[in-house]
Amino acid sequence: MNTELLWSTIKQLWQGFGYTFGIFGFTLLFSLPLGLLVARGRMSKNIIVSSLVRIYISIMRGTPLMLQLLLVYFGPYYLFKVSTGNINIGPFNYRFIATVIGFSLNYAAYFAEIFRGGIQSMPVGQYEAAQVLGFSRMQTYFKIILPQVVKRVLPSVTNEVITLVKDTSLAQVLAVTEMFTVAKELASSQVSVMPFIAAGVFYYIANAIVEISMNRFEKKMSYYS
Amino acid sequence: MAVLEMNGIHKSFADLHVLKGITLHVEEGEVVAIIGSSGGGKSTLLRCATTLETIDEGSIRIGGIDLDYKNKKTLAQIRDKFGLVFQNFNLFPHFSVRRNITEALISVHKMSRDEANSICDSLLNKMGLADKGNAYPCNLSGGQQQRVSIARALATNPEILFFDEPTSALDPELTAGVLNVIRDLAKDKMTMVIVTHEMNFARDVADRIVFIDHGIIVEQGPASEVINNPRNERTKAFLSGMRN
Ligand SMILES: Nc1ncnc2c1ncn2[C@@H]1O[C@H](COP(=O)(O)OP(=O)(O)OP(=O)(O)O)[C@@H](O)[C@H]1O
Ligand SMILES: [Mg+2]
Repeated sequence: MNTELLWSTIKQLWQGFGYTFGIFGFTLLFSLPLGLLVARGRMSKNIIVSSLVRIYISIMRGTPLMLQLLLVYFGPYYLFKVSTGNINIGPFNYRFIATVIGFSLNYAAYFAEIFRGGIQSMPVGQYEAAQVLGFSRMQTYFKIILPQVVKRVLPSVTNEVITLVKDTSLAQVLAVTEMFTVAKELASSQVSVMPFIAAGVFYYIANAIVEISMNRFEKKMSYYS
Repeated sequence: MAVLEMNGIHKSFADLHVLKGITLHVEEGEVVAIIGSSGGGKSTLLRCATTLETIDEGSIRIGGIDLDYKNKKTLAQIRDKFGLVFQNFNLFPHFSVRRNITEALISVHKMSRDEANSICDSLLNKMGLADKGNAYPCNLSGGQQQRVSIARALATNPEILFFDEPTSALDPELTAGVLNVIRDLAKDKMTMVIVTHEMNFARDVADRIVFIDHGIIVEQGPASEVINNPRNERTKAFLSGMRN
């Protein structure tokens, strides 16, 4: 095997990895808080709110993410004749923005269900103790409930995060030049599977890092049970 | 002056009429033990008194403040007047012992950390847990956890303390430590309402025994009367059941 070719492959994949990491980072940044909000909506006493949120979650989980990405990307134009070609936020074009929006909406639904499970698993005694001690609802939520929920949901969140690393490859459908798109192009121009294997190693290392960090975080939270 | 006044309390859960007109007044410094068979409504009564349940009928007054569920301000005031000790402690597991005790002082009562810590230290001392401030609840025995929860309830200096079966989640050998702490509080003239199945303890510590059955107070009076010489047939049946 040609080491020069391998080296240039790795360099190009690494450039694509920038987008991969961007999709990953922005998706987490938006979908985690959004997921918490969606979870609250899902548990709302207002039946209209909770039903709408339930439908949202069901659609997000029940249809392919790839299809959702296409809808977010083409929807504005085909549905509302809004041209998206010249939408840019900083260095990001609409392809990338649509990808992040699609991923965030999708992952928020999954995170919401995880958070809901965590919140509902909290013993009612925690709320009651907080109430008689005079904590406000906000204080109860942010000081007492949420920190414990974080610990409870950590293993499931780790699963989702690992899936997200791999799912970023779906952005190829919008021709975002993330790592997988780059790997595909290189593979066909080199007529070789080597770029795929190299990309696989990248994904694997990324997830190893995710796993190690999440394990550390879990350990850090294990000061109580 | 009565610290606690509950008048004509009625409470139902759907079709189940649990409290059927209970009137209970507790004077300052008085220790009242509530006894009665399972399902009689003892816990429900405490939960109504501590705003964890709303009542259907009647009135509640604690430390001179009338309970009004619609008035947030008096609701907060009334919650300052009492402390509640749960059967299963309900400590905050992610907080150290110290933070369990001080958090409400700091974030609800806006006390300085130093002030809160010194209250915490003296309470831990009193509970025989002086060296446990930095421990987490999961590393304490059940008896120690319950004493922490008593300290937490006492931290805000309440006028009355409610206990719902404070020792029934504990292994028998751990109950003594908790009961002794409550005895000490009684000596200090802490006003307390204690739901308990420990008849000997109730007899020792309580100025008055209240026997509740099927949602009404069937009999009440000094331990010497209610426990030693019950007049009501239901009280007699309950007590003879307890002895066997
Ligand atoms: N939240 C609730 N919803 C429906 N029923 C309830 C609720 N809480 C209590 N009950 C019912 O009310 C009745 C009285 O219960 P309560 O817990 O007050 O009894 P108790 O005297 O404390 O009994 P124990 O000695 O077993 O603790 C029981 O029949 C119980 O099932
Ligand atoms: Mg009970």
